[in-house]
Amino acid sequence: MRRFPFSTALAIATLGLLLAGARALRPAVKGPELAHAAALVDFDPTRVPFSPMVRHTEPESPVPLRPLLGSPLLDDSGGSLDHFYASLWRTEKGASGAVTRVVHYGDSPTTADLITGDVRAILQQRYGGAGHGFVLIGKPWAWYGHIGVELSSDGWEIAPATQFKARDGLFGLGGVSFTGAAGAESHIVFKDRRQTSFTVWFLIEPEGGVFTVSADGVQLGRVNTAGASRIAARTRFAVAHGAAALDIHVEEGPVRIFGISAEKSGPGVVYDSLGLNGASITVLSRLFNADHWAAELRERDPQLVIINYGTNEADFTAFIDRQYEGELRESIRRVRAALPDASILVMSPMDRGYRAEGGEIETMPNIPRLVAIQQRIARSTGCGFFNTFEAMGGEGTIGRWYNGQPRLVSGDFIHPTPGGGKLIASIFAREIGFGLNRFKLRQMLQSSAKAAVP
Amino acid sequence: MVFLVQVGSGVYFFFVAAVFLFYWVSWAATGSRVLRLAVVLLANYLFCAHFGLFYVLLIPACSTADFLVGLGLARYRQAFLRRLLVTLSIALNLGILLGSRHMDMLLKGWDWIFPLGLSFYVFQSLTYTIDLYRRDGQPTTSLVGYLSAASFFPTLQAGPITRLTDLVQQFAAPAKLSREDGGRAFFLIGLGLLKKALIADYLGQNLVNRVFDTPNLYSGVEVLAAVYAYSLQIYFDFSGYTDIARGVGLLLGVRLPMNFDHPYQSLSVTEFWRRWHITFSQWLRDYLYFSLPGKRTKIMPYINLVITMLLGGLWHGITWTFAAWGLLHGLALAAAHGFRSWRGRPKPVGAWKRAGLIFLTYHFVCLTWVFFRASSLANAQALLNRIGSLSAGFDNLSAPLFGIMLLAAATFFVSKAWYSRILDGFARSPSYVHVAALFLVALALQFLGGHGSVPFVYSRF
Repeated sequence: MRRFPFSTALAIATLGLLLAGARALRPAVKGPELAHAAALVDFDPTRVPFSPMVRHTEPESPVPLRPLLGSPLLDDSGGSLDHFYASLWRTEKGASGAVTRVVHYGDSPTTADLITGDVRAILQQRYGGAGHGFVLIGKPWAWYGHIGVELSSDGWEIAPATQFKARDGLFGLGGVSFTGAAGAESHIVFKDRRQTSFTVWFLIEPEGGVFTVSADGVQLGRVNTAGASRIAARTRFAVAHGAAALDIHVEEGPVRIFGISAEKSGPGVVYDSLGLNGASITVLSRLFNADHWAAELRERDPQLVIINYGTNEADFTAFIDRQYEGELRESIRRVRAALPDASILVMSPMDRGYRAEGGEIETMPNIPRLVAIQQRIARSTGCGFFNTFEAMGGEGTIGRWYNGQPRLVSGDFIHPTPGGGKLIASIFAREIGFGLNRFKLRQMLQSSAKAAVP
Repeated sequence: MVFLVQVGSGVYFFFVAAVFLFYWVSWAATGSRVLRLAVVLLANYLFCAHFGLFYVLLIPACSTADFLVGLGLARYRQAFLRRLLVTLSIALNLGILLGSRHMDMLLKGWDWIFPLGLSFYVFQSLTYTIDLYRRDGQPTTSLVGYLSAASFFPTLQAGPITRLTDLVQQFAAPAKLSREDGGRAFFLIGLGLLKKALIADYLGQNLVNRVFDTPNLYSGVEVLAAVYAYSLQIYFDFSGYTDIARGVGLLLGVRLPMNFDHPYQSLSVTEFWRRWHITFSQWLRDYLYFSLPGKRTKIMPYINLVITMLLGGLWHGITWTFAAWGLLHGLALAAAHGFRSWRGRPKPVGAWKRAGLIFLTYHFVCLTWVFFRASSLANAQALLNRIGSLSAGFDNLSAPLFGIMLLAAATFFVSKAWYSRILDGFARSPSYVHVAALFLVALALQFLGGHGSVPFVYSRF
């Protein structure tokens, strides 16, 4: 046995014993175990193929097929979305000026117009487009953007609600305040060149300055933001033949602007994508000044308000246990106080994953919990509920979407790829279509019941 | 699918420990070379079998065919016969390579699944028959020796590509493992694991994967940082794998070649390919580039460089992105070759010029990594557009991430002399130091590393 490397063998054995001992003291430590020996001779035929030839099977649909009627993905029971459906039906019928407005509050995917951009495109294709909707006048985050919009700006001090820079809670409809001195400017170009009206959303204040607004290089007006008290205001500019490029230029500072909205004459749908990076439900329940936000909502007058948070909350178990329900209820209460007639839809977060000990990608346990809470509160407060988590495929989807081809979710196991976003958007739009059909059916049944009464 | 014997996993090291024990006991107790090699052979096929039982038939059959071709090349002197034999071997091995990857194009209604990539096996096998054809190596008459070397399990998944004539010779020699070599093996394995789990996987999971998947969600600065991070990730992932393979080989008394030599300190692309994936670039040079016609003409060497690198790129996968990666490197190598022909051998340069050349070479390599990692040309374009947007935003660049990137980059400034000094110092230190160090590495991996194990980047090729 002279040739046997005793010291190296002894080192390996000692290391193995040390790890096994550490494992005995603290089971979280990985060390040698009998299962490792068993694994070496484990040739389970389901895991270890005997032949490289495997009969071809079509890959599973990334989204499970569901029955067309009575779908559980969109819960609009109790007529919770009837106000929205009624408006959408008028829009669909092409009633003159029938514009259906949706405002969609969300977190990082919404910031980049993922999902929302595709929903906008699908709904506008199906029911007609009445303009792009609300856009911020600068990029609070480098990845802020809307599909079909190019945006550049200079000289603004940008304060998103999530960054606690502006303590007064005045963030306008979109959750971001832009303060500019003389020379600050924004240049916004819409791919659709037929936007016929532009509304600038700003703040009148005692020291307010002056800004100008131009469309396609032609000055539309000059706005003085000085006033006796601080109050949110809007100025609308009509462009008869439509325009694509909007410029805002501050002549005298300071000027505080919240965003612009671009519209066309209806009938059609306007879908405002209002995403704040890293946002949670507390943006709506606490960070927005209630009166100011209510005024902005009333001015926008949407038929549907979508509340789509939860992904960022999933990191905080204690928050979910103690606070989440109250914050969601408060957000709904605020919207309802501002817009008593509007429909409210709580949209659940997507599946979110993490890499577990064995390397598999698993669903974060807090996600299904959040979804269940949202579903319960939506029902008890008369809101609609869209189960994005189930629409994707439920528990474990994130791993399937990450490992599938094409990949539908990014490597952070949070954000959808554009393909994943489009898939969710198409399911959401499909469910809205089903909901609208259910609404129509109910309306027709009610009409015929009324007609049948002698 | 996560394979139980994935390199770097607990089962893998249990497997290595078992092989180590049987290998050395059989050798020490009997002095039988055949028994010792039989242990290696059994270990090789056990390793392969975990990826699919068909490998246990396919690999021995192909290896035996190459062994017989080798015997034929050793025996026959007629040029025609020798050419026929080497052609047979090339056709067989390229057939395996292409068949394992693209057979499903011909099989309707069936999928053709090879979980364990065979390209490194093929490259190694071809070194044997082509070397013998060129009379550039000694044949072996030991079937068990050849089979053990051809499918040597530490190198099977991702190299380093070892000339089989060299490996066969090492197996033929009496096995020995000094305490210092044992220490060296521990050092390499520990270092490889740290490179993989603490740097490569961390960067992949926390920045690279997400940015490359959805570049439009990130600022230009963040996308640029992700490209830098990917350059670190792929280096630490692949060199980590190589370190583990070399360490495991050394535990069995086998010395495997180096694969990386401070590649990001290269002054030119030509030098980069002398320092990056060394065994692969040597293989491409010796067995592909030198085999292409027109060596003595003026133009063909340049075209051959481009063809060689293009094929090298397409070996990773037949996609436009790998083609672009290979083409960019081929064009750069051809340009560098042309420049050298025009201006002569480069003269020593001062520190500033040297830094400038390293900077330029590194950034060219990073540009090519964009194509290598991107899922499509459109994805690569989106990444480059984001960088070109010059937008600044640092929300996704956390302090730990920045720290890991700095730490990883700092290791490039550890000179070869210092590295050797550290390695030798560790190897000579007492065994309890080896044990303590590996124990700490194991704990660090479990408590500081990323969640779960991610397969090595090159294991899929």
